[in-house]
Amino acid sequence: MKRYIDFYTSMMRLSVLEQWQYPIANYFYMIGMLAEPVIYMVVWSAVATQQGGSVGGYTPGSLAAYYIVWTLVRQMNIAFTPYGWEWRIRQGRLSMSLMRPMHPLHEDVAFFAGWKVVMIILWIPLALALSFFFKPDLHPTLLEGAVFFIAIWMAYLIRTITLSLLGMVTFWTTRVSALFELYFAAELIFSGRLVPLSLMPEWVQQAAWFMPFRWAFGFPIETLVGNMPVNDLFLGLGMQFVWIFFGTILVSQIWKIAIRQFSAVGG
Amino acid sequence: MQGFKLAFNYLRIGVMNEFQYRANLYIQILQTFIALGTGLIGLSLVFDQVDQLGGWGKADLLAVMGVFTIMGGVIRAAIQPNMERLMDEIREGTLDYALTKPADSQLLVSVREFRLWTLVDVVVGVVVLIIALNQLNWLVGGWSALGFFTALVMGALMIYCFWLIITSTAFWFVRVHEIANLFEGLYAAGRWPVNIYPNWLRYGLTFLVPVAFAVTVPASALTGRLTLQTWLGALALTVTLFTIARFIWKVGLRNYSGASA
Amino acid sequence: MPSVISISKLAKHYQVPEREAGLKAAAKGLFKRTYKIVKAVDGITFDIQPGEIVGFLGPNGAGKTTTLKMLTGLLHPTSGQVSVLGFEPAKRPHDYLRQITLVMGNRNQLSWDLPALDSFDLQRAIYSIPTDEFKRTRDEFIELLELKDLVQKPVRNLSLGERMKMEFVGALLHKPKVLFLDEPTLGLDVTMQKRIRSFVAEYNQRYNATVLLTSHYMADVEALCKRVIVIHHGQLLFDGELSALVEKFSAFKTVGFTLEDPAADLSQYGDVVSVDGSRVTMRVPKEKTSAVTSRLLNELSVEDLTVEAAPIEDVIESVFSVKKEALE
Repeated sequence: MKRYIDFYTSMMRLSVLEQWQYPIANYFYMIGMLAEPVIYMVVWSAVATQQGGSVGGYTPGSLAAYYIVWTLVRQMNIAFTPYGWEWRIRQGRLSMSLMRPMHPLHEDVAFFAGWKVVMIILWIPLALALSFFFKPDLHPTLLEGAVFFIAIWMAYLIRTITLSLLGMVTFWTTRVSALFELYFAAELIFSGRLVPLSLMPEWVQQAAWFMPFRWAFGFPIETLVGNMPVNDLFLGLGMQFVWIFFGTILVSQIWKIAIRQFSAVGG
Repeated sequence: MQGFKLAFNYLRIGVMNEFQYRANLYIQILQTFIALGTGLIGLSLVFDQVDQLGGWGKADLLAVMGVFTIMGGVIRAAIQPNMERLMDEIREGTLDYALTKPADSQLLVSVREFRLWTLVDVVVGVVVLIIALNQLNWLVGGWSALGFFTALVMGALMIYCFWLIITSTAFWFVRVHEIANLFEGLYAAGRWPVNIYPNWLRYGLTFLVPVAFAVTVPASALTGRLTLQTWLGALALTVTLFTIARFIWKVGLRNYSGASA
Repeated sequence: MPSVISISKLAKHYQVPEREAGLKAAAKGLFKRTYKIVKAVDGITFDIQPGEIVGFLGPNGAGKTTTLKMLTGLLHPTSGQVSVLGFEPAKRPHDYLRQITLVMGNRNQLSWDLPALDSFDLQRAIYSIPTDEFKRTRDEFIELLELKDLVQKPVRNLSLGERMKMEFVGALLHKPKVLFLDEPTLGLDVTMQKRIRSFVAEYNQRYNATVLLTSHYMADVEALCKRVIVIHHGQLLFDGELSALVEKFSAFKTVGFTLEDPAADLSQYGDVVSVDGSRVTMRVPKEKTSAVTSRLLNELSVEDLTVEAAPIEDVIESVFSVKKEALE
């Protein structure tokens, strides 16, 4: 156990130091990602204003709050994509990782976790700027803040799990971009990324309970913005935990099979 | 003239190359339809609530989406691949190969790459556009059509100049690769007509990143909203951007120093 | 003493789909796939004792890298046995991984943007090296390779040679017992190559580590390896001392001498390789060497006559050109 804490601290430290060298590149990356929620925000605010002030229970103020918190959650759930897995195998980096007495997935999780520390720090001025321009309506309670903090790290783990599962498909075939594209499309609709889920048709909202997308995206945002009753807050955390628990088991099983495949053909 | 012959040759090679990767066609088709699907879902979610947005009706916005898809296809087929390759070559010092060829370097680096299959986007965009025009009962006059085509060409040229200017900064600042991310994010704003955005964003999307000229202006032409003023403004901006881009390119080349020993 | 590395009848076969050019063949290929078996490694056996430095030679595509990958656990053998330090590499147990290291020329493990010192700390965490032992080893290597001023510089600012030295330090911090070195001196200048070689030799001396080295630079092999194993077409071609390899495979010897009279016709004695002023170098068939040298001494007035084995590069070249059919 101590060994893992030691490794995570060391790896995260390395990651923070590395990413801190490129603040400008990181800012470009983040600003590019900002465009998406700002567009959604502006369009839906226009709709709300035209409807006399609110749409689906969201006013321009609460829409601004939703999408600004969205930007933080989006940063938090960035993980190693299936395209990254492909690249890593092709470059021979996976072989190098396999030579070390540390599961490559730990390396992934630790590396991105460190990067997020840098991202969060760089995000703060952007969030302040966005708040200045869009005037969000946000009054979270202390409990909601605490739940939010836990929820975003769990969201990171959930998305790492789903992307790793997709990534492992690359061990069997190189032509998997079709699968990824479908995944990202589903994620867009069912996670609360495109619009708050309450603006979606009923059946979408129901289906979202049984898919991992909402728990990696919409739920954390809603803890802060949605004025959820306390029970729902803890129910949501519970769901996140369930997804992580079963997801981890699934990932470690598939990994064993995947590595056997990798060692049979040498990557 | 030699420049155009060269461009045509590169096109030919690029296309032949793409035929080797037929699977990419199917992936592109899937990507295009997924993008179309999500776009239409977004549109329908909005129109579940309202009849028009910022003065644009449903069919108008469908036309905007059509132009957006067409222009996106053109950018990803012809402009972006060349610029990204240029970025890599500047960073790795392999631009020398292009510079020692007997042709204008700017022309050469702008036409070398061509992603044939991305043209699926253009085809689908045209289809969407036709459907939108149908819903508008084809109320498009001769001038509007001309305005549309010219605006489209100018918009593409402006995007090209924008990309070239940003890529040229790689001569001075090595890490500009994240520009691709930034651009794609900002281009997505072109899905919706820029006049629904707050002022400061609208100016950014017009003069900083010419998204407005790439999408909204041609779409305006087709839906009868284009004024001569705007058209002339587009022309002026295109010429200005092109001059600036060429100037920066030449200055950058002079500074360029290849890979170290 | 039990061997450190022990492989027995090791084989790796791949099933490769047969593909022909042309449209008709491609269409046929959609329905019926024919496969052929490629024997990358076809039954090799050898044992390596602790402390040995063994050169692993073979042309590209010979099966070297495949064998190396099976030894490091990255590939599962099709058949045969492989055991390193008593472990089965394919299972990749952590205890095994902690005792080996793989260094490849031109590949970096160290973080590009940060000083090597930071990457070293990560290695400490990965291999669970106790902190004081880590510091001692680290400082010892930095001293040995004269890197004190460079460890604080970002790795991307180092020259290729300096970077390779850093990579070595990083790779050996956990004091592995077995070193797999894959072209470690690739692209380095002569001074740096020598430096790396002496470092490996020093490490081998101090820690009695076993080293398996592949390199296309014969100078590496000559300097470090008493024993060489040659692989070609997936089979073991030779396993023994380097001098014996030269003896076995070289058909020629190099005869050098100083000749006063430049106009003499030397073609009757053998092939002239080079003439440098009055110094002549000739290639003479092995069995004719004594006859030719006595003739030279009698018939011409030569001085400083030397007889040497053929240059290693030539020997290796002739070894590598052994045809597959000759091995069946």
